[in-house]
Amino acid sequence: MIRAILRAQWLSMRIFRLASGRRGALFSVIVAVLWYGFWTFLAAVAEELTAARGLRMQIETWLPAGLLGVFAYWQLAPLASATMGASLDLRKLLVYPVPRRSLFLVEILLRITTCAELLLLLTGAAIGLLRNPAFGGWRGLARVPLAVVLFAAFNLMLAAGLRNLIERLLSRKGIREAIALLLMLVGVLPRLLMVTGFAGRRIEHALPTAANPFWPWGAAAHCMLGLSTGVRPVAAAAVLAAWTAAAYLFGRWQFMRGLRFDFQAAQATVASAKSRPYAERLYRLPSLVLPDPLSAMVEKELRSLVRTPRFRLVFVMGFSFGLVVWLPMILRGRVTHSAVSGNFLAVVSLYALFLLAQVTYGNSFGFDGSAAQLYFLAPVAIWRALAAKNIAAAIFIFLEVAAVAAACSLLRLGISLRQIAEAFLVTAIAALYLLAVGNMSSVNYPRPMTAQRVSAGGGAARAQGLLFLLYPVALLPVFLAFLARYALDSEAAFYATLALAAALGVAIYWMAMESAVSSARTRRETILAELSRGEGPLVGD
Amino acid sequence: MPDTPAIAVHDLRKLYGDKAAVDSLNLVVPRGCFFGFLGPNGAGKSTTIRMLTGLVPPSSGSIELLGMRLPDRELEIQQRIGLVPDESLLFDRLTGAEFLEFVGRMYGLARPTAVERAQSLLDLFELREKRKLIAEYSKGMRKRLAMAASLIHHPDLFLMDEPFEGVDAVGARLMKDILLDQVRRGATIFLTSHVLEVVERLCDRVAIIDKGKIVREGSMDELRGGTESLEDVFVRLVGAGREFHELEWLK
Repeated sequence: MIRAILRAQWLSMRIFRLASGRRGALFSVIVAVLWYGFWTFLAAVAEELTAARGLRMQIETWLPAGLLGVFAYWQLAPLASATMGASLDLRKLLVYPVPRRSLFLVEILLRITTCAELLLLLTGAAIGLLRNPAFGGWRGLARVPLAVVLFAAFNLMLAAGLRNLIERLLSRKGIREAIALLLMLVGVLPRLLMVTGFAGRRIEHALPTAANPFWPWGAAAHCMLGLSTGVRPVAAAAVLAAWTAAAYLFGRWQFMRGLRFDFQAAQATVASAKSRPYAERLYRLPSLVLPDPLSAMVEKELRSLVRTPRFRLVFVMGFSFGLVVWLPMILRGRVTHSAVSGNFLAVVSLYALFLLAQVTYGNSFGFDGSAAQLYFLAPVAIWRALAAKNIAAAIFIFLEVAAVAAACSLLRLGISLRQIAEAFLVTAIAALYLLAVGNMSSVNYPRPMTAQRVSAGGGAARAQGLLFLLYPVALLPVFLAFLARYALDSEAAFYATLALAAALGVAIYWMAMESAVSSARTRRETILAELSRGEGPLVGD
Repeated sequence: MPDTPAIAVHDLRKLYGDKAAVDSLNLVVPRGCFFGFLGPNGAGKSTTIRMLTGLVPPSSGSIELLGMRLPDRELEIQQRIGLVPDESLLFDRLTGAEFLEFVGRMYGLARPTAVERAQSLLDLFELREKRKLIAEYSKGMRKRLAMAASLIHHPDLFLMDEPFEGVDAVGARLMKDILLDQVRRGATIFLTSHVLEVVERLCDRVAIIDKGKIVREGSMDELRGGTESLEDVFVRLVGAGREFHELEWLK
């Protein structure tokens, strides 16, 4: 039965791959090679470090902390990116007499899709330790792989349980954004404590805590390091096995609860559009300055996006998580005056701009699904539809910047009016480049997105990969402006470079729009087919 | 009424690889006609409608709608067409009223007019729950809303793919009455349906398509020949022998 499920998913993906053509496949390969190439490089570095005989003390000190980092990344990275990878679509599978334990096994295996890179990293470190005679060398051939396998299994099962738990929590109206925010704050709390000095002063005390063999990462480290740490590897393996068993029980418990959970009932109260006169006036604002049908389309985008749980979550993340992630920089910058701390607001705004890509301009037709055909059926040129979606995205981008500025003011971070204006300006110019890329990806790599399930159905992986790759390039003109300011110590140079970047951005946006419109005309059949296609037995980003 | 036909299709083909979904299709639908386009599943009905709407480019052949050639005058043609496609055309995160207003404005109606017509259509189709998002609509409600959207700009030609699918008897009756009224005022309706009784009762002319080719076309009387029902004709033409009795395990 597991094979049947995986085969059905494979076939579903095959149809998609065929429709996407060679160009798309090639791009997917390039993105995968770059991403996993980067992690393979890190794994090679880890292998070299752990193989160094002269670093024995450092390895003993830092390996538990490193494994703690792996654990944190494994469990929190899917949250930070708001993409939780593939999972079973139980609505499609529960009608069949498939044993629940088989479904759970598939669910666990699918957790590999979110953090395969960490398996590379662990493998690199494990090979290094096996090469290091200080830790017993190849005599640890049973001990080291066992620790890696148990630690990976522990993380996989815990991740499966957490995913189910979070998915259920996030499906509930009202608490969705609060829960997401809370989880993210928990994720960045250690970093915040370190930068504020609270934990920094106790770092030497914290490391032995991480190395405590009763923690899973500590037990894994002691098992990998052998007798050199004074802890018996068998005892460490037993502790790790106990943690793995506990993670299995937790994962299975949460999975079973997920099976019985009624997502529709939880979301039923979300669906109705509340009567809010002030919101209605806001939705109507574009009509004051834009002509129909452009204003009608902008209005539709504003209404739809505000009512889309996945969009709301990412929007909230933009100014909350973004702020917390970058807050350590500004706190540290108060002492060292770094470039980031001086332009904190602009940096957070650019981060929010990047996050919004997946739910707005990076895959503009994603939430429309098959209804996107209306844009091709109505007597409206397709460029107007793209422009309307860009205008709506721009409105949310500016709201995001305003929210970041408001949050900074509330936190009394000493943000000046000039910095606020600068953040708006810089974000607007960067947005020109990213909207240009987004328009291209929206018509070339469209994919339907699920509005209800906040953790599933993100933009096409290739579209996200394209944005990920091009994001630094898109920010380059803005970065050059900041560079000009610091290198020449001149505000005039900064604004002159920004003006040039804006002019270039307009030209690039224009050219990209023409190209996107041309692609939309020639690819309309493929676009609509891809937006209308159903998923296989799995759902995912 | 202009003398050009509402739909004139010449030698229309649509190939997917080597397979012809629609093959050498020739069709003329006069204005003011209620035209039924029938065929078994996978015969090419939806592909034909998608080509007529411009969503799918034909591999070869020509299409003229309301005397205008596709794709040369695509926007003008779209302005005068009302559509009920097979796939959902609805934006789930809008309410019915918001969606109808949006569609009206997309077709060039001034906002007050679009709002007013949207309200009338919602009342007519009994979709009055103002705050209910389309995501919460049942299948029948969605079809009724799609029908309402196709009417809002008062088009001259309706292209409808299974418009009655999932609609209850009362809603279907209303839709049929509205469509007949549209034909009386001179509009043309091109409709696909698997409910042959409905087609038999509504349509003046019928074409039956099978494996991408038209196998019979004519007025309802010509097809039935005075003795057969439309279902008899249809099954005789496209319903090849399906001997389920041969499946021993099914007994």
